Amino acid sequence: MRLRIFAALAALALLSAACGGSSDSVTVYSGRTENLIQPILDQFTEETGIAVEVRYGGSTDLALLIDEEGDRTPADVFISQSPGAIGFLAGKGHLQPIAGDTLDLVDAQFRNAAGLWVGMSGRVRVIVYNKDLVDPATLPSSVFDLTQDQYKGQVAIAPANGSFQDFVTAMREIHGDDVTADWLAGMAANDAQAYSNNSSIVQAVGRGEIPMGLVNHYYNFRLTTEEPSLASENFYLPAGDIGSLVIVTGIGILEASDNTDSANRLIEWMLGESAQTFFSQETLEYPLAADVAASDRLPVLETIGLTTYDFDQLGGGLERTKELIDASGLEAP
Amino acid sequence: MQVASRLPDPKLEQQPKLGLGPILAGVVGLLFLFPAVYLAFGTIDLGGDVWSTVTSRRTLVPLRNSIAVAVAVTALAGTAGTLAAWAVSRTDIPGRRLLKTVLPLPLVIPSFVGASAYLAAFGPGGLVTWIPRPSGFWGSTILLSLLTYPYVYLPVLARLTTTSASLEEAARMLDGNFVNTARNVVWPQIRSTANAGMLLVFLYVLSDFGAVSLMRYDTITRAIFSSRLFDRAASLTLGLVLAILALIVAGIGRRTPPPSHASAGAAGRQPTYTLGRWRLATFSAVWALVGAGFVVPILVFLTWVLRGSTTVGVGYSGLGDDVAFLASPLLNSTVASVVAAVVAVFVVLPVAYVAGRRRHWIGSWAATTVSSVFALPGLVVALAIVFWALQAPGPLASLYQSFPLLILAYVLHFGAQSLTSSQVAVASLPKVFDEAAMTLGADAARRFRTIELPLILPAVLAGGGLVMLSTLKELPATLLLAPIGFQTLATQIWGAAEDGFFAEVGITSLVLIALSWALTWLLVLRNQKG
Repeated sequence: MRLRIFAALAALALLSAACGGSSDSVTVYSGRTENLIQPILDQFTEETGIAVEVRYGGSTDLALLIDEEGDRTPADVFISQSPGAIGFLAGKGHLQPIAGDTLDLVDAQFRNAAGLWVGMSGRVRVIVYNKDLVDPATLPSSVFDLTQDQYKGQVAIAPANGSFQDFVTAMREIHGDDVTADWLAGMAANDAQAYSNNSSIVQAVGRGEIPMGLVNHYYNFRLTTEEPSLASENFYLPAGDIGSLVIVTGIGILEASDNTDSANRLIEWMLGESAQTFFSQETLEYPLAADVAASDRLPVLETIGLTTYDFDQLGGGLERTKELIDASGLEAP
Repeated sequence: MQVASRLPDPKLEQQPKLGLGPILAGVVGLLFLFPAVYLAFGTIDLGGDVWSTVTSRRTLVPLRNSIAVAVAVTALAGTAGTLAAWAVSRTDIPGRRLLKTVLPLPLVIPSFVGASAYLAAFGPGGLVTWIPRPSGFWGSTILLSLLTYPYVYLPVLARLTTTSASLEEAARMLDGNFVNTARNVVWPQIRSTANAGMLLVFLYVLSDFGAVSLMRYDTITRAIFSSRLFDRAASLTLGLVLAILALIVAGIGRRTPPPSHASAGAAGRQPTYTLGRWRLATFSAVWALVGAGFVVPILVFLTWVLRGSTTVGVGYSGLGDDVAFLASPLLNSTVASVVAAVVAVFVVLPVAYVAGRRRHWIGSWAATTVSSVFALPGLVVALAIVFWALQAPGPLASLYQSFPLLILAYVLHFGAQSLTSSQVAVASLPKVFDEAAMTLGADAARRFRTIELPLILPAVLAGGGLVMLSTLKELPATLLLAPIGFQTLATQIWGAAEDGFFAEVGITSLVLIALSWALTWLLVLRNQKG
């Protein structure tokens, strides 16, 4: 009896392994999860007839995978949740330039200078706070103020998380390594609490475990959608502060890909109106192209002070960022 | 049924010559060394320095933390798993049939989901506010104990169903005190099995990242993960340190003596203790274990599902109008976990046989390498397989990201779970049957099929069951190595959790638990006696 069950399952295994891919298709390694991208990939296939095969995973892990695969990677396109992971691939020579007119769909400040990858959508760094525990009037006007006494032990951060590391890299780029190292040391001395990622910080703040934390803006929308009673709220730091940095999700074509036409078409589609509207209205991110407006639930990007920086530095300089974070002692909880 | 003592037979105890068995075991042992060799290559290639890494303060603290939590969890999970197995197989505890099938299930809950559920369940702002929210060392210890005691429970339960009842009955008649009977008669019979299960717990805790990171406890896996992209030398060196630690621990763990009472299974019913005044205490203890490890997460998942289905959302959610989107992950999870379990059982059986039965040094060596892989984080094992698969010659490389390679990844990572259970069972096979059969002229294959296999089958199935449950929740290898588009329930849970779709995490976790329940009953527990 048991043997028969095994035999049936083995047959199923062969069946499911026998499904092949179509000829005109593009293979994507996506650090962005299925819920946040599959609907527009389906639309792309419908419009163009080009099938899209997707491997989902964490951006960092997929970048490591591509680095290990080298020129034998089956992937044509890499989609990253953070500039860090895709910048790592650019730095290692794993990406090839995107077609010029595709690049031009996005403002120069949101793409790689060498044209190796472009921004797809933007997230803003915010302070998420618990509205029952914190009077918004007492919130700082700059992320640098968080090292003051009144915030001692009050702030959650995610030092091992890509977004936080990108934010620190941008701080180094704009304010220099010394100021950044001082801030990190100040945060550690001020008893900032290390959490594993953005989502766990927003939950902890919502539950009242800790009064506030540094995260990307859209987690709070996601979490309060399912749990409206959650007491967490976003606070956007005022214009010009590095604390309201825009972090983009990126897309690029693998050097090893020989399917660049379809890959470029896919990137073009991601920067087109329907994809950008999806990012704006469904995932509540900032659209970066096709003149699509951000959701009216978000503050206008310009009013929260769009901080500009050099993305190439952001990618390439992450080893140094990691060293600074390590040295500050912030990471060990 | 009589109890067979381990009679020393000079012919059988001699160091056997290098036959097919040791060669096979040696090959399997080498196969399981591949991840460690990948780490060593990477460390040398990138100029990592094991000694200065190990002696730096930034490594020593997490390393010490890892070992501390592993020791604590091993003690707790070992006790809980052993007592639970004994209670459901030997006592008149109410609800034993249900308990028996429910007790293995916490193993299938991915540790990051279990941790999220616990954080949401307890403490201010949680579902139960008067119980403090778990975190740090104790949070990690309690949570991981609840998620890992099945590594001890399942093999010990299998062992108890094949040990003879006669000694226990005799002891009870002479003494009447079941605590004495348990200590002097039952424990010596299950000690090796429990120790082997505890070795699994220890190695698993070393590898865990999900639970400790959410519990905000700084372990060696945190250091491996946070440096994996931008300081690969450090990440690989730390991985190598973990592999060396695992080889040492597995080597020591394997030195436990074989069962002192090698006794054959009686076909009749197992003894049932009437618990008497202990009834309430035992009942409460076992149900508390089920409540904490199984009911609490399920209640949290249900809360998430209900909350998500009553709120009209912004944003796309796969949950939508139907749960049909889970059909294909459900099928994939079922097929992958069962195939991985069957393959793992067969791959490590030569090692179990040579190490447990023939006591050949190759067997012990292979058993150590097989076990050590289990202590590595899944991501490290997956990347090692990527590395080797792409080094391989053409036909092998074409298997890259195919179903067979995915199964190989599961087998490499989880083979230890099948091995420990099988090895103890093989080691405790009574040789008198063998000798009698040999005298009667039965050949080796026939002896194995008719005498040995029936006796070790429950333990082999228990080991396979552990591989199956681990595969069901496996994430890193599935994400990196599965055929493209091959999604499992675990990858669905991960994707939903990543962006805070908790209703989807909840419903998928519930489906995963239900599937595990069905498969565990169908393939592992259904034919057990008692």
